[in-house]
Amino acid sequence: MQPKFTLQKPALTPFNVVAGIIVAVGLVITVIRFTKGLGATTNLSDYNPWGIWIGFDLLVGVALAAGGYVTSAACYIFGLKRYHSAVRPAILTGFLGYALVVLALNYDVGRPWRLPYPFVVQQGTTSLLFEVAACVALYLTVLFIEFTPAAMEWLGLKRARSIVVKLTLVLTIFGVILSTLHQSSLGALFLIAPSKLHPLWYSPYLALYFFVSSIIAGLSMVIFESSLSHRYFHDRMDATHVREADGVTLGFGKAAAWVLAGYFVIKLVGLAQTDAWRYLGTGYGLWFLVEMLGFVLLPCILYGIGARERNLKLIRRTAAWTVLGIVVNRFNVGLIAFNYHLPSSERYFPHWMEIGISLFVVTLGVLAYRFIVTHMPILYQHPDYDAH
Amino acid sequence: MSISRRSFLGWLGAAGAGGSMAAGPARAAGNGQFAGYPESLGVLFDVTRCIGCRKCEEACNKVNELPAPAKPFGDLAVMQTRRRTDAKSYTVVNRYENVPGAKGPLYRKLQCNHCLEPACASACFVRAFTKNPNGAVTYDESVCVGCRYCMIACPFEIPTYEYDRALEPRIMKCTFCQPRLAKGLLPGCVEICPVEALTFGRRRDLIRLAHERFAQFPGRYIDAIYGEKEMGGTAWMTISGVPFRELGLREDLGVTPAPELTKGALSVVPIVAGMWPVLLTGIYAISQRRDKIAREEQAAAVADAVGKSQAEAKAKLADALAKAEKDKKAAIDKEVKKALDAAKAAAAAAAAGTPADAPPSKVS
Amino acid sequence: MMKERSSLRRTGLVMTLAVLMLAVAIMSVQGSAPAAPAADDAGKPRADIIRIDGLRQFGALERPAVVYLHERHTQALSKKNKDCAACHLPDRKYLSTKFKRLTDASRQTVMDIYHDNCTACHRQTADAGEKSGPVVCAGCHQDRAVASSWADFGMDRSLHYRHVKAQDSKCEACHHQVDPVAKKLVYVKGKEDDCRFCHLEKTVDRAISMRLAAHTQCIDCHRKRLAESKDAGPATCGGCHDAAVQRKIAKVKDVPRLMRGQPDVTIVQAVQRDGQPVAPFTRMSVVPFNHVAHEGANDTCRACHHSSMDACGKCHTLQGSKDGKFVNLQTAMHRASAQASCVGCHDGAKARKECAGCHATMARKDPPELSGCVSCHMPKPAAATPETAPKDMAAMLLAARKPVTATFADEDIPETVEIKSISKQYQAARMPHRKIVQTLVKNIQGNTIAGAFHRDPGTVCQGCHHNSPVAKKPPSCASCHGQPFDGRNLTRPGLQAAYHLQCMECHGVMGLDKPTATDCTGCHKDKI
Repeated sequence: MQPKFTLQKPALTPFNVVAGIIVAVGLVITVIRFTKGLGATTNLSDYNPWGIWIGFDLLVGVALAAGGYVTSAACYIFGLKRYHSAVRPAILTGFLGYALVVLALNYDVGRPWRLPYPFVVQQGTTSLLFEVAACVALYLTVLFIEFTPAAMEWLGLKRARSIVVKLTLVLTIFGVILSTLHQSSLGALFLIAPSKLHPLWYSPYLALYFFVSSIIAGLSMVIFESSLSHRYFHDRMDATHVREADGVTLGFGKAAAWVLAGYFVIKLVGLAQTDAWRYLGTGYGLWFLVEMLGFVLLPCILYGIGARERNLKLIRRTAAWTVLGIVVNRFNVGLIAFNYHLPSSERYFPHWMEIGISLFVVTLGVLAYRFIVTHMPILYQHPDYDAH
Repeated sequence: MSISRRSFLGWLGAAGAGGSMAAGPARAAGNGQFAGYPESLGVLFDVTRCIGCRKCEEACNKVNELPAPAKPFGDLAVMQTRRRTDAKSYTVVNRYENVPGAKGPLYRKLQCNHCLEPACASACFVRAFTKNPNGAVTYDESVCVGCRYCMIACPFEIPTYEYDRALEPRIMKCTFCQPRLAKGLLPGCVEICPVEALTFGRRRDLIRLAHERFAQFPGRYIDAIYGEKEMGGTAWMTISGVPFRELGLREDLGVTPAPELTKGALSVVPIVAGMWPVLLTGIYAISQRRDKIAREEQAAAVADAVGKSQAEAKAKLADALAKAEKDKKAAIDKEVKKALDAAKAAAAAAAAGTPADAPPSKVS
Repeated sequence: MMKERSSLRRTGLVMTLAVLMLAVAIMSVQGSAPAAPAADDAGKPRADIIRIDGLRQFGALERPAVVYLHERHTQALSKKNKDCAACHLPDRKYLSTKFKRLTDASRQTVMDIYHDNCTACHRQTADAGEKSGPVVCAGCHQDRAVASSWADFGMDRSLHYRHVKAQDSKCEACHHQVDPVAKKLVYVKGKEDDCRFCHLEKTVDRAISMRLAAHTQCIDCHRKRLAESKDAGPATCGGCHDAAVQRKIAKVKDVPRLMRGQPDVTIVQAVQRDGQPVAPFTRMSVVPFNHVAHEGANDTCRACHHSSMDACGKCHTLQGSKDGKFVNLQTAMHRASAQASCVGCHDGAKARKECAGCHATMARKDPPELSGCVSCHMPKPAAATPETAPKDMAAMLLAARKPVTATFADEDIPETVEIKSISKQYQAARMPHRKIVQTLVKNIQGNTIAGAFHRDPGTVCQGCHHNSPVAKKPPSCASCHGQPFDGRNLTRPGLQAAYHLQCMECHGVMGLDKPTATDCTGCHKDKI
């Protein structure tokens, strides 16, 4: 019987207060959104139909939730058992991430109750968005099922758990397939608008770029939230977790260095393929170089140094920086390099209510993560069950 | 009834040959080009004729029962700002002053171009847009989810959204007056234009008409029809006397239709669905096999090591026993020799006299 | 700890190096940005910009061509009492336009001449403490943009007459021909040609370009006369080539006719292959040509005589000849896109404001209406015989053909026309029909070319009553214009657009402020 931790922590910690405010404000904005419409709560316009609810909540959210498929693939498909302790947290992050993506989508879309329409009423199969929707919906289901063993252990549902656990490999493979498809399709969404996306970011390889950078995002996010978990939930971790943690950080850091290097090379190939070199001397070009050198090449080198010298602190910091780089990249494609041809009076900047909802969604995710991690066997192995 | 392998293969071959011969008439190979429905209608807008009266905007507003605008349609000063379509205006007319080569201000009406292969229709994931055989691209609000991807996709930046409606926001764009066309009426803007700057007819007739105008009035037009090939061709086209970019028409859109741009990415989806299971299962199998071999090798190494150390121990023991045996024998020999020497010494002493303290003979 | 710091330092170094290398690469690809148009001398555009790229004839240039400001140098030198001879060497009769040399011997010699002389003078001036030019390579060899006010220049009849007077009608002062036998320039009276017949855009063999010819002969004469303080033309770049200065050149009002043995009137004749004129009796209706009238209507002879002063038919024969670049007579006379052709020039006249109201809306017909042909082509006069000289026949025909710019009598022209057949939103439009016709006819009074083509009184009506035979009572618009968008005849607008297009376009090209096209009630009142 696991001894119950009774931490006499006060309810009104600074974190809880801030989170509470964000949630409260978010609920208010929600009411406004569904009574007054998008015009009252966003700065969206006919020139800018997609704002940060798509640019951040959807594009960044899906990319950063990629740790789920990356970690489970590493552990179950590639057989790297030393990462096993990282699987459950990664799956949890992935599941919460995708669930919140769907939540945020309900805010952005004009008629959210019609979200099932593409599946049950009319299929627009020429659309990459259909592909994204189908794969995200299926993958959310996969993640949910992959998450349930932890919940079932918490609830004591032994039989159900043993059934689900048998599906692990199939679910993992299915998850990688679905992730490949929807991560790349999110980038491919912009293929249809070459006249609106700056030539330095528009490339026929957009789908590939989004897929490869999702791997980088997943690896970095696992390192990042592992470092956070160790700081705030150390008392929840069992010996295996603590022991394997450094190995996860080092291993994933090394992998990230390689993938970042490959990503840098294929980005250069893309530039050559579209002959976009001459744009490097412009303002957008400078920003593109900041993204490429500062958020791709630099973390690649730092990850490499960290992995070789076994410098865990460096790897963790680089992971945080890389997560920021993923945000920068998705923002660039979705908001900054998009509509580059319009005058500045027509460009978009988010309304505070949009930022409020994005914060709200992220806070819900953090709160849910905290609840699940402190109650269910995520960071420790339940003594009554075997590892799977 | 059993069938021999030979006959089975024979039947299979015959079935295949028969099937291929029974195929229907050969269809044109799919090279992906769509030249438009043959009876597709269109509208030709002639910039040299437009006088900027905004009657088209007014008529469109009336026939589509759109809300009244902030400034009346007779107010020509609104054209001092560059406008675009919005949720209450399917079409607007913009004024362009001081265009080099033009003798006065020029006007251009902008509205949905009803592309032959619309980007909006390709992008919509509920197929809310339809390219009708009569050329009109129409929108079905009964399935629209409101994702606004069509607005991202449209290269001409036409579709607009009712952001101020909370529960039933719609995409708003020119419908080519499809209900009026069905009744045999002209589109509202076309009917009202006092100078027939908008000519209505079959798209292919309009292209011919445009070329006739170029020939009849040399020097009046640029010899090009905007929309003939742009983005794969549009049903609404423009001709003008000044370069199109002076009128805000983008000349860098290319001739590739929008669906062509995403065809590649979409075609990869089934390949991934087909190949990834094979690939990933293969990797899994290989990693499992490697683990298994590693385990077996480890077990073999352990057994090998155990056996070796056992043999070593046995040999050591044998050596020790042998040594012990040897030692014992040597000790016995030593004692025997000692006794024999003592007996010899006693015998020698007895022969010489009778010592009182003769040691007791240790004879066993 | 130490390892971490050193590896981070290494990373920093690598990144800095990478950024620097990239910056250098990008800057070299972009090249240095061109300097903003440095309009020197009080910011005004100038007409004396010369691009020194004489080495181009020897191969590709290694450095950008030098942007050289000629007048800046002549002004600076004149302050030191130095004239053209400071840089330009005498070449036979004139000064060479080349810099300190007469020929371009080789790449190295030409380059050295520029480098040695330019930098020497610049150094000298700088040593003397004055403002001087560059002495390093990039100082001269930079692709800088200087605002230019240069405009092409040529002589027109007025300027030519001023020269004739100044030279006391001594044509030999400027005009010359090449004697191929003696290989000399000689003057042949009666054969004075336009300079540009031989001196073309670029030098061809020994016929130097017009630019060189003008800068040699013209400038030289002006220079010599100015040196003697006589009245002369300009010897500076801007004096001829500055657009603003050109506008100020004095124009003589009534230039007397330049006599060079040309006829007053003649027949435009075809010439057979063997050079014999074609007998006018056996060919098309002849075209009498009023040469005097055409002289007065054009600024230069070159308007028609684009390659030689001979009659058109000498080179443009019936079948075309090598001399005429195989452009036959029919094409030469009728090609609408050629300014030197009859139709080309006359078409241009149609664009005048007083003509464009009707003519702008007339579609070009291909082949054109035959009724237009008879405006020029006339059947032989009854009094003519095979022996009649062309100029006599032309005189006879022209006497019979008087320009007419009149139309029907007032009482035959409806005073107002009520346009009400399709009135829906507005009341009938009351068109002041007679007033409009009278104004249009008044506009073309005294215009001989209009008179040549509008001889039929009903021709003017055709401006609006088009696509129908000329008649005193021409058909109304509704006779042909009905419902719009007939798929089989999309070129014909519907009745409403026919009215609006015709009226509005006429008003627009004739520059009428009222009625404004967008002012509906200006023409037809609202129905209340």
